[in-house]
Amino acid sequence: MSDERTSPDIYDPATDPPLTDLVVCSDLVAAKQPEEVIISQIEQFGYSEDAVFGIKLALEEAMTNAVRHGNRHDASKRIRVRYAVSPRRVIIFVADEGAGFCPEEVPDPTAPENIERPNGRGIMLINAYMTRVSYNAAGNEVRMMKANERWAP
Amino acid sequence: MGTLNPATSDRPLSIQVERMEGVALVTLGGACTMEVSRQIWHSLVGLVTEQVPAVIVDMTDLDFVDSVGLGGLVAAHLKMRHHHGTVALVSPQPPIMNVLEITRLTQLFPIFPTVRAALENVRPNEPPQPTAQRPRASG
Repeated sequence: MSDERTSPDIYDPATDPPLTDLVVCSDLVAAKQPEEVIISQIEQFGYSEDAVFGIKLALEEAMTNAVRHGNRHDASKRIRVRYAVSPRRVIIFVADEGAGFCPEEVPDPTAPENIERPNGRGIMLINAYMTRVSYNAAGNEVRMMKANERWAP
Repeated sequence: MGTLNPATSDRPLSIQVERMEGVALVTLGGACTMEVSRQIWHSLVGLVTEQVPAVIVDMTDLDFVDSVGLGGLVAAHLKMRHHHGTVALVSPQPPIMNVLEITRLTQLFPIFPTVRAALENVRPNEPPQPTAQRPRASG
């Protein structure tokens, strides 16, 4: 799980709140715990219902990928979630203990030849609903940011 | 069949299956979140193994669906195609319709405003005639 620096357009320690660190077991029930905490904070900051829906969906897809593809349902492995919520934006990092992957190599699930594949829509949903998405060099941590469209400085 | 989503504030996912005019009507409710979304997959694909001619999925009361839940719809569609059957969707809420549009699954599934409209258009072993229901896309 890498701690390498993140682009400030996703997380800027000078202007964003400190990241809160949560570590959960690698199963889909335990993976709900960070979501409950993060979504409850977002709702307090006046984000739109559409924004909350999108952040929840992106986080669920990231956690599902971490459990299924990253940690391969290995209960001895962990998922690390770091997040910061402010009225301006929400930052969420999800890291697993897997070998990582190259997001550019994931087939486009909306391409005609892939549209009937039952799997493979998680990454594109994360990209569609979050404002900025990047990965660490190893490809085992997704870094997501959602800007609050209602925020006015 | 209903299951409580553990340790969350989501409405529990509910899946009700009934037979209506020769087709299977699946009524979904609550939130199809990651810890329960496989249930939709199993329910839909299980129906298809019974060789029903059409499956109508009423999404009116569904608050949330993840990619695994969507995958269950696609898996059912693939199996139904083997015997020229159809999976049709009914009345997804705007956020769910938005997910269907983003993933372009609107190209795969006929979508109807009501169960009645779906029943009238989805006939056993006949291709469906989709209606133009297009709830406001949000996002």
